[in-house]
Parts: sequence; structure tokens; C-alpha cells
Amino acid sequence: MALWSERRPSDDFHRVLAPDGSLVGDPPELGDDELKRLYRSFLQTRRLEEKLLRMQRRGEISIIARSLGEEAVALGSAAALAAGDWCFPTYRQTAARAYWGSPVDRSVASLMGAETETVNEHLPPDEEGEGVVFTPPYVPLTVNVTNAVGSAMADRFRGTDTVSLAYVGEGSTSEGDFHEALNFAGVYDAPVVTVCQNNQWAISVPAHRQTAAETFAQKADAHGVPHERVDGNDVLAMYEATKEAVKNARDGGGPAFIEAVTYRRVEHNTADEPGVYRDEEEAEYWAERDPLDRFDAYLRREGVIDDDWVEAVGADVDAEVQAGVERAREVPESDPERMFDNHLHGEPSWTARHQRAELRAEQRGENPFTDFDGSGL
Amino acid sequence: MSGRDTDGEAGGDAADGERAGGGGETEMNLVTAVNETLARELHRDEAVRLLGYDLGPIGGVYRATDGLYETFGEDRVIDTPLSENGILGTAVGMAMRGERPVPEIQFLGFFYPAFGQFMYALAKMHKRSGGALDVPVTVRVPYGGGIKSSEYHSESTETFFVHTPGVRVVCPSTPRETKGLLAASVRSDDPVVFLEPKKIYRGFEEPVPDGDFTLPLDEARVVREGGDVTLIAWGAMVRRAETAADRVDADVEILDLRSLSPIDVDAVLDSVRRTGRCVVLHEARRTLGLGAELSALINEYALDSLRAPVKRATGYDVHFPGHQVEDAYMPDAQRAQYAVEAVMDYEF
Repeated sequence: MALWSERRPSDDFHRVLAPDGSLVGDPPELGDDELKRLYRSFLQTRRLEEKLLRMQRRGEISIIARSLGEEAVALGSAAALAAGDWCFPTYRQTAARAYWGSPVDRSVASLMGAETETVNEHLPPDEEGEGVVFTPPYVPLTVNVTNAVGSAMADRFRGTDTVSLAYVGEGSTSEGDFHEALNFAGVYDAPVVTVCQNNQWAISVPAHRQTAAETFAQKADAHGVPHERVDGNDVLAMYEATKEAVKNARDGGGPAFIEAVTYRRVEHNTADEPGVYRDEEEAEYWAERDPLDRFDAYLRREGVIDDDWVEAVGADVDAEVQAGVERAREVPESDPERMFDNHLHGEPSWTARHQRAELRAEQRGENPFTDFDGSGL
Repeated sequence: MSGRDTDGEAGGDAADGERAGGGGETEMNLVTAVNETLARELHRDEAVRLLGYDLGPIGGVYRATDGLYETFGEDRVIDTPLSENGILGTAVGMAMRGERPVPEIQFLGFFYPAFGQFMYALAKMHKRSGGALDVPVTVRVPYGGGIKSSEYHSESTETFFVHTPGVRVVCPSTPRETKGLLAASVRSDDPVVFLEPKKIYRGFEEPVPDGDFTLPLDEARVVREGGDVTLIAWGAMVRRAETAADRVDADVEILDLRSLSPIDVDAVLDSVRRTGRCVVLHEARRTLGLGAELSALINEYALDSLRAPVKRATGYDVHFPGHQVEDAYMPDAQRAQYAVEAVMDYEF
């Protein structure tokens, strides 16, 4: 029975919490409030994704990619950033946004298919400067890593101490963009941390089919970028490793690469059926190594949380998720003309004006093809 | 989510009209105009950074950045690893943070590895962010044939960029135009692909304004007025259009498109309505070259004015040939002349 998709044996990585929640290393210096904030973000991510899955099944959302069982990767790493830092996520880092208070309503409205312009109009983003700046989530993978490196190069050249953080999956470390990005990061000593969320499955392709290298972390070696392999289901280890990398980058020490080993227990996205290509017993093995259960056991043992607190926080995040979903549902359907917005600055071109008028005519049920002299409709 | 403020000068207003800062003029060639403009923009706005391969001490393979590394230093004139996609992708990241990068791709034929970043990030980030993020990147790319270079160094594939929304495509045809259009491109808040006709980098000199000088990014230029036929060209082909117009027995109006995207459709239609005939002259392959779009626009919106079908004097639908036969591939004044004569002789 294959329980491990990689060549490298399990448990050969940096770890603070064992799967049963017992300490196997020194925990990072985090106060009770900070530990509770991590826990709350965990819970919010899980409840939000459960809600989104139900909405997807009802047809309110066309497709979602869940992070169940992988939340500690994004959560621990994003928590190591500071306000003003820049984060370049993909679609499987819901927990990073939850930690930094990214509004639920805006992401739900986007998942419901609203044009960004409509979302901005009805659910304006918060004022800048209070948290980490998130770019729009990238769907074409590893494009974000190169952009993050450019962002970090700008800070290096200006002498500012902002750090950029990008996420990449183990599958997309096979893309050329990944290597180009890490190469630039190394050459320019860019203050950028790249976190590889190695969940061992890139849709249907297992990790050992992505590379003959022993680990994904070692890919950074070729680019002179320091790297570490971390238990991605251990939120404290993720926090600790990223904290060190971020501090080093902020202090002028250059880039870092973190391979976070986790497992994609659920489908790639809601259009995927993993039973077709893998042994689902793997997921059971990993369910026993759930990152929230592990953190929960630790915090209870330490006396940081108890049943009452967990119940109260659960009710609290449920209410927040529900309120966000309600606000998203109130966003009116996007005006089709929004598709023409935000392509170029300045006066719209002849083509843009005429095509917009054509669409408008079509929307009114009129024939849009009646202009034969270019004077417009 | 917007990046830091620059000096406030940058903005879409550069596209509004021709602006010259006064002062005299200096005779120079096209590549010198590129160099002078880059130096001026680097000096004017500290957010401007050049990056690319061989830009630094060597000054670029065509010396377009000669001396800039020495003047502005390695953080403003950035020699990069050999990685077109890396150059474009890091430029986008810098631009998202308020920088105004001016990457160079050494030859248009080397652009293809950068298409991922071009399509996914450069052209789309502004729209994807709902307008919250600007990506003011001007990608300079020497293009075109006719200098006995090799196959991959001679292509004209502007169609790929013109087909992509969210990006301007600009192509100058003279030293003066180069200064005005490049300065406006760098100052524009839009991504711009700036195609430099390397065949005429050193082809001729003309007076170029010394001071601050920009040209609109969305207006074609009437090179000469005429009543019989509209000859549309851009880049290195404008000179050939002029030679053809001198030789042919017809009153030719020459339109230099300048902005390949968006197209100044009004200028095209106005001219063709007056002349009733049109020839498009371009180096690119014919099928789905920009001539196809121009011909389609004229067909859709000015058919009543036409006294002959639109003809396209272009390259052929082949890979760019080796230099023994490149002259046979390249449209020249003779090919343009044939096309003009053909539409002049045509009768419905």
C-alpha cells in the first residue's frame, strides 16, 4: 500500500509537533493570543471551505479548490510575515488570507463569478497598510513566483525592508518559470521567501513523477538559494522556519526556499475525482496526521484552549462566514459591460468604443451589425 | 494595492497629445534617439529601471544602452541572467510595486520564452486586479529583417501582441518619432511593447527636439498627403513606402500607423474614404498579419468608398529565410509600387 508519493521517506524534515501534538522540538515564542489567532484562522478556513463546497454543490459557485489538511502550510508561513509585506498566493492558500483578515465577502463574491470591478464597487477593499498586501490569487502556476522575485528586487534596489512571499506547488516546480524566478532571486539577493506546498499530487500526477530529485527543497540548491524541508502539517514548524527566512531576508540576507511536506486529502478541485487515479487509503493515513487535530491537542495540553473556547470561536467564525456569504450574495450580477473595463488607461480606443456599443445593442436585443460607415450605432 | 507614488508625472496624459519642452534640435539616428530618451527618462524618474541581457557594460548588442550603466549604476541599468521570461516576470513584479521598468528583449525572435509572463501577468494584471494594480512596463524589442542577420533575429511577429488585450504596441519609424513615442511609452501607465526597427537604427539622421518631448500613443501620422491611394506602413517600411510613392505615377497618401494597438481606426477610415484605395505594407507574414485586420476594418466600415480591393504587400507565409534570400522575402519599394499600381489600374 503506497502511503507516500515521494521517493524520500516520511518524517525527514523539521518538526516541532509530532502528529499526536506532543512537542519534539522547541516551540516558537508565541503568546496565547497569537496561538489562538492561528487556531481561529485554521477554523475559519475549514468552515469557509465547507460552506463553499455546499455552495458549489448547489450551483452558486462553479468551482473551488479546497485546502483541507494542508492549511498549516499557508497559515504558519503567512503568520510569519509583517504588515506591509507582500504575498503572492495561488488558489490553495485560503488560510493565509484568513490569518490576515482578508474579507470573506470579497473572495466569495469573486468565486460566485462577479467581475472584480463589481466586487470593488459593492464591497470596497479595506484601507491599505494594515496588513499583508495580497495580490490577486494566481491561477497559472509559478507566474506568481517570478513576479514576487521582481517585487523583492524592487525592495532590494530601493533599500526598503519589505519581504515578498510566494507559494508554489510541488508540481509547478517543474515549470521553467520556477527556475527562472529562483535564479533571479539568488543572483540579486532578493528578499523573497518561496514556499513550496508539496501536497504530493498535482491533479493526477504524483510527486515522484514530477522529479527524479530526492526532494523538492534541493531544487533551490542549483540557484544558490538556501532551503529547508519542513513538516507542512505542523503549523508551529511552518511558522518557525518561515519566521527565520523572513527575518533573514528583511535583514539583507537574501532569498529562501521552504518545502512544506503535506498531502492533498481532497480533490484537486471540485471538477476532479481522485478515486480514478490514486489509492484513497493514502488520504486516511493523512487524516490521522491532520494539522488542526495536532495543534488542537498541543494547545489543550498546554492549557491555552478548552472546549468552551473552541465552541465559542467555532460559533464566531460560523457567524463571520455566514455574514460574508450573505454580503457576497447581495452583490448584484455584474453588468456585462464591465468586461471592457481596465484594459488600457486614457480615452477608450475606437475599437473599444465600438465593441462596447455592439455589446450594448445586443443586450437590448438589437442588431449590433448595422454600422457600415464606422460612425457607430 | 497600488504601489508607491512616483513623481506624479507618469500617467495616461502622455497619450493626450504632442508635447515638446522647447529648445533646439539635434541631428541623430534612431538608435541614438533610443539611447538619449532612455537616459532622459532614467534621469527624470527614479522609478525607471532598465533590465535585460547585455544592457550593462557592453551597452546592448546594438549599443542602445551605451553609457547608461556607467551613468546610472547597476541597480538602474540591470544586467540579467539569460532568461527572457525571467526578465519580463521580474519586471512585472517591480511594476506591481510602483517601479517603471523598461525591460529589453534582445530580438523579437527571442520573445517566445517570455510569452507566459506576457499573457498571464503583463497583459492581464491590471484587469485581474480590477484596476487596483498598474503594470507600467515598456518592453523594448528590436525587430525586423533586412540586415543580413540570421533567421531567428529577423522576424516581425507583432500580430501576437496586437491580438492580446491590455497592452499597447508601438512602433516608431524615424529618430524624432522614436524619442516622442518612447518617452510617452515609458510614462504611460499601460504595458507597452515598443518595437524598434533595427534595420533603420543607423539608417539616417533627422533633427530631434532636445528638450522634453512626447508624442500621442494612439494617433497615426500622415507622412504625406495624397488623393489617389492610401499606403499604410510602420517601422522600417515607412521609408520604403516613401520611395515607392516617389516612383509611382499616383498621388499617394502615406499613413504611419505608429500605434499598432490600439489602431487609430478613424485615421485609417478617413484616409481611405478620401482616396478610395488602400495598400498595406508590412514585413510580417501575410496571413493574420496586421494587414488582414486593416483590410477587414476597411471592408466593414468603408466599403462604399472603395474603388479597388485592399491589397497587402507583405512577407510570405514562411519562416524567415536565411540571408541569401531574405531580400526576396522582404517587401521593398518595388513590391509596394507593384501593389499601388495594381490597385490604381483596377476597375470594378
